[in-house]
Amino acid sequence: MTLLRLNDVSRRFGGVVAVDGVGFSIESREIVGLMGANGAGKTTLFSLIAGNLRPSAGEIRLDDRRIDRLRPDQISCLGVARTFQIVRPFAGLTVLENVAIGALFGGSREKSMARANADAMEVLEEVGLADRAGYYAGSLNLSGRKRLEIARALATNPKLLMLDEVMAGLTPTEGADAVAMIRRLYEARNLTVIVVEHVMGILMELCPRIVVLHHGALIAEGSPQEVANDTRVIDSYLGSRQGTRT
Amino acid sequence: MRRLPAAPLLILAGGMAVFATVPLYGSDYIIGVALTLLMWIALTQSWVVLSAMTGYISLGHAVFFGAGAYVMVLTFGVLPFWISVLIAGAATGVLALLVGYPCLRVRGPYFVILTFGLAELVKYIVINIEAALGKFGRLLMGAPSLDQLFYVILVLAAGSMVITYTVRRSRFGAGLRAIRENEGAAETVGINVARFKVLAFALSAIIPGMVGSVVVLRTTYFEPLDVFNPITSFTIVSMAIIGGGDDVPGPVYGACFLVLLQELLWANWPEIYMILLGAFLVGFVLGAPDGVQGRLAVIRRRMAR
Amino acid sequence: MGDLLSGQLVVATLVLGVIYGLVALGLNLIYGTMRLLNVAHGEILMLGGYLSYWSFTLIGIGPLYSMFVGMALAGALGALVYHFLCRRVLSASKLVEQIEANSLLLLFGVSIILQNVVALSFTATARAYPYLDQIIPIGNFQVTANRLVVLVIGLAVCVACILFFRMSMTGLAIRALIQRPDAAALVGIDVERVRLISFSLGFGIAGLAGGLISMLEQISPFMGFPFTIAAFVVIILGGLGNLYGGLAGAFLLAVIEVYGVALTSASMRSILLYGVFIGILVWRPHGLFGVRGAAR
Repeated sequence: MTLLRLNDVSRRFGGVVAVDGVGFSIESREIVGLMGANGAGKTTLFSLIAGNLRPSAGEIRLDDRRIDRLRPDQISCLGVARTFQIVRPFAGLTVLENVAIGALFGGSREKSMARANADAMEVLEEVGLADRAGYYAGSLNLSGRKRLEIARALATNPKLLMLDEVMAGLTPTEGADAVAMIRRLYEARNLTVIVVEHVMGILMELCPRIVVLHHGALIAEGSPQEVANDTRVIDSYLGSRQGTRT
Repeated sequence: MRRLPAAPLLILAGGMAVFATVPLYGSDYIIGVALTLLMWIALTQSWVVLSAMTGYISLGHAVFFGAGAYVMVLTFGVLPFWISVLIAGAATGVLALLVGYPCLRVRGPYFVILTFGLAELVKYIVINIEAALGKFGRLLMGAPSLDQLFYVILVLAAGSMVITYTVRRSRFGAGLRAIRENEGAAETVGINVARFKVLAFALSAIIPGMVGSVVVLRTTYFEPLDVFNPITSFTIVSMAIIGGGDDVPGPVYGACFLVLLQELLWANWPEIYMILLGAFLVGFVLGAPDGVQGRLAVIRRRMAR
Repeated sequence: MGDLLSGQLVVATLVLGVIYGLVALGLNLIYGTMRLLNVAHGEILMLGGYLSYWSFTLIGIGPLYSMFVGMALAGALGALVYHFLCRRVLSASKLVEQIEANSLLLLFGVSIILQNVVALSFTATARAYPYLDQIIPIGNFQVTANRLVVLVIGLAVCVACILFFRMSMTGLAIRALIQRPDAAALVGIDVERVRLISFSLGFGIAGLAGGLISMLEQISPFMGFPFTIAAFVVIILGGLGNLYGGLAGAFLLAVIEVYGVALTSASMRSILLYGVFIGILVWRPHGLFGVRGAAR
């Protein structure tokens, strides 16, 4: 069953075309990798899907319902959650409060504060932040903040989770932990996941299907093998930027 | 309706009971001071619901105070006192709903200046209306007694504390605080930020409107420049900053502190009072941005260790 | 309609415009380079006014000289305020919004202190002194000499500032800091020094403008606030941090005020001022000539 479908979606900023006629669809329960160099339009695409930006043209459908004219909060309530590449914690609130807010709104819409806190605690266990529940979010290190982004998104109880470079800037061990965690969450929570990374190795490992953007346009999609062998991908992406990472 | 936990409810009831006895033995002066204190607590609590929780700092809450007073003046002698107070609250709530949507799209310091400008605009509009009506100040004869006014303000102060307490611990309050911390993230986790902000604005306008409608009857003379005085807005903000935090105790600390200072100095040395007010504002912004409440919390944590 | 082009109104507009221009220039400098909202700006004006008043009435030195002393003293006061108060806000706040909000409250405290120190020292009574008030006929209308002097000096200072921003290295550094605060440091600009200069210069221009205003209007400890508000209206009209936009906004507001009052009545002045202000903030928060993003 198709969960998300993009038809010829474009977004211009003044004269710059950040996303250029992109179309693809994602089946329920897929993990899809979204790949491309910096500036390829990955984050813009997330913002379009999540409603933080509106497309200049094209349409976006979730469960066959048009969502490209909805506000971010409405889209969140329909079960779409995203993380931000540049993390946006509620820094002055505790880690638990951050996640409880996710549980109170979005797709969960928990009415009782006590249950929201309980749900939040559960999510914190899953992402390995439970021991930090009482700390201010602003006091976490980068790895902790990235986990908090994921936890807050998960607490909204999404169908579709969009992860924006949650592994960038982490140490190799932290990165490997994060990959394991995402896989675990995917299994346990019945999720559909879109992962943005510009590091190819991680996507190859995590995602059975990969979509490649270049200068805002979709240039390839397929299995990691197909994408890696695609000449346009090699020219545009691998040619200029070896996606290696240790 | 959420049930209030026992301990805060007891403290509130105890405090109210203590204040309720003031008119039994206090002189008019004492009652007046207590009324002033309760008035500022009510105003600052209401401000906290909007500004401390969402981070949208209003420097124009005098507009609600003044508008409430004006509603009372216009209906005085026509409608019963109680009805006028309720209408004043409803009117300021509606005023906030009307102006809230366009105003709350403006962020940060622009919002601060905007609210100030709005209060001044309404002030001058009222002055011009009064001039057009040929009224230059109005006498309000036959107002309720000081004791009666005191009890109404006591109820409003208690109500304002219940509102702050409840909002602070509710889903609504969680949404407001999320907006304060990061509005973009707040809407992405599903908070309807526009609606939340406007509702908080309206909620924070109602009590000041009612307070204004009652307090205007303390003097028998109505003058727009007095009830719309921007110093009211400044004092509210100063009390909230000095008290600190986004919960019930902050405004109480701030109001107690400044009312005490005011009583000591205002009658004889108003300039000294204002200078100290400015100095405290500077000192708290630089040295203790979390206010008295934040300081106390730090001390409490150290003691517990 | 002929009345609207009368010399009286034109001169009134130009004089008001040039004063607003000076005040807004200083405010813009401080906001543009540091994101500090100087709500104490009108009080610096007031201090400049008092300096000129006392110089003239006590020792007979006219405002044409004392206003430069006022400029120097206000500049020094600016340096002190920056060094002891604002620097801490800048270093303690991580977010631009925090800087803006904290500076607003902080400088608001400073503004109350200045108002009341002056009120305590010199009483709250409004004061004025006669200076160059002989009437000069120009064509078919008359104007007092002091208005012409204010106009000429005000314009000269505006032009001097523009030349300073355009020609000097420091002026270039200031504009660079306004454009790209993050990049300015990278190209070797001593950000700290440029901020100090901008703050000091902003205060200095306000001190000088205060001397000019004292030639035309009564001064009082609380005269500053309406000017602060007008200056905010002006720089929001012109786009926060946009130095030239601010000058254009100043004359626009002067036109609105002078002609608005001429067409309606004096009691409408404040309604016009605040009405325009709110309208602009709500519908064009980045100013009439503002570039989106410049104010963020």
